[in-house]
Amino acid sequence: MAEVAPGQGSTAVVERRRSKLRRVWIGVVLVALVALLFLPGGAKETFEVSQEFTLHPIVKLPKVGPVDLSITKAVIYLWITVGVLAVIALVVNRSLKAQPGRFQYAIEFLYELAHDGIAGSVMKSGCDTWFPYIGSVFFFVLTANLIGLIPLPFGEHGQLAFYAATGNLNVTVVLALFTFLFTQYAGVHNKGPLAYVRSWMPKGAPPFLREFIFVIHIVSEVFRVVSLSVRLFANMVAGHAILAVFFAMALIFQNYAIAVVLQGGSVIIFLFEIFVAVIQAFIFAILSAVYIGGALEQEH
Amino acid sequence: MDASAAKLLGAGLSMGLGAVGPGIGLGFLIGKALEAIARQPEVSGDVRTNMFIGIGVTEAVALYAFVVALILIFVAK
Repeated sequence: MAEVAPGQGSTAVVERRRSKLRRVWIGVVLVALVALLFLPGGAKETFEVSQEFTLHPIVKLPKVGPVDLSITKAVIYLWITVGVLAVIALVVNRSLKAQPGRFQYAIEFLYELAHDGIAGSVMKSGCDTWFPYIGSVFFFVLTANLIGLIPLPFGEHGQLAFYAATGNLNVTVVLALFTFLFTQYAGVHNKGPLAYVRSWMPKGAPPFLREFIFVIHIVSEVFRVVSLSVRLFANMVAGHAILAVFFAMALIFQNYAIAVVLQGGSVIIFLFEIFVAVIQAFIFAILSAVYIGGALEQEH
Repeated sequence: MDASAAKLLGAGLSMGLGAVGPGIGLGFLIGKALEAIARQPEVSGDVRTNMFIGIGVTEAVALYAFVVALILIFVAK
């Protein structure tokens, strides 16, 4: 230490006092952990992961044909997602400044990511035409995934629970079907129906191989809907199941000490789930862009 | 072995074996992408975007196994 700051003596005293306090704290925590080890079990309740994903009607509504119109937590999570998106869009739109603040900068960063990083990077032409769809899918899935990580009081008995709008196969299949429909529309609109269907067959291939590739293309086109929807759905369900298992360690092991130690693991899993939520939104949007872009310039 | 035990065993096996292939694939994919970035850092943006697309496609295979496991546990009778 070459320079001696004016208040250095007093800071050293404070530092010593702090380290003493820290030692006391560590001791208290250790004693508490040992005490927990000998406590008799957690609450005597059973834990079932599948309970986290069963939908109980919150507001009962009559059935119309085979469709149950009751409002479940899936519906409420969808409403929350749409509401949050609409509020953010309106607030940002009303308060646009030339010198962006922190919030506006974050939103601008996400917009740029959706525009240049997702739509612009995989579509050679038609980026401006199709950005509205790609961008809204990206923001919707991102918001739904992230809201799924906030505990909200929509459990079976009104307790705090996790659920994601995208952790429901119905939602993701509808999103994937939109991508499928827009892919076909883009192809037909850009090349005309006959030329579009013909572009599924490679031009230079021998006759039988050509029909074979045509069939394979149709199968892959349909299977894209399955893979796109199941990927998002299974990612969210698997993530939430792992989170639920980690949070319920006290119930599973019937022991507080294991539960307290493994809570550290649940924090790590939670951070990983935030990463997964962002990555899955990115992948869903970029694959939609790849499929639509492929229909735009498909030349086998 | 009764039916429920077979169901659980099948679910565990499907998830475990189904994770092997995508695990190897992801290792190859990310390793090659890192190699490419290390060799040519100036194209790291493009490589990363394509890597994420590949990750999405590869990882979906493991998730099919996960869905099959879920079906075995909760739906199969």
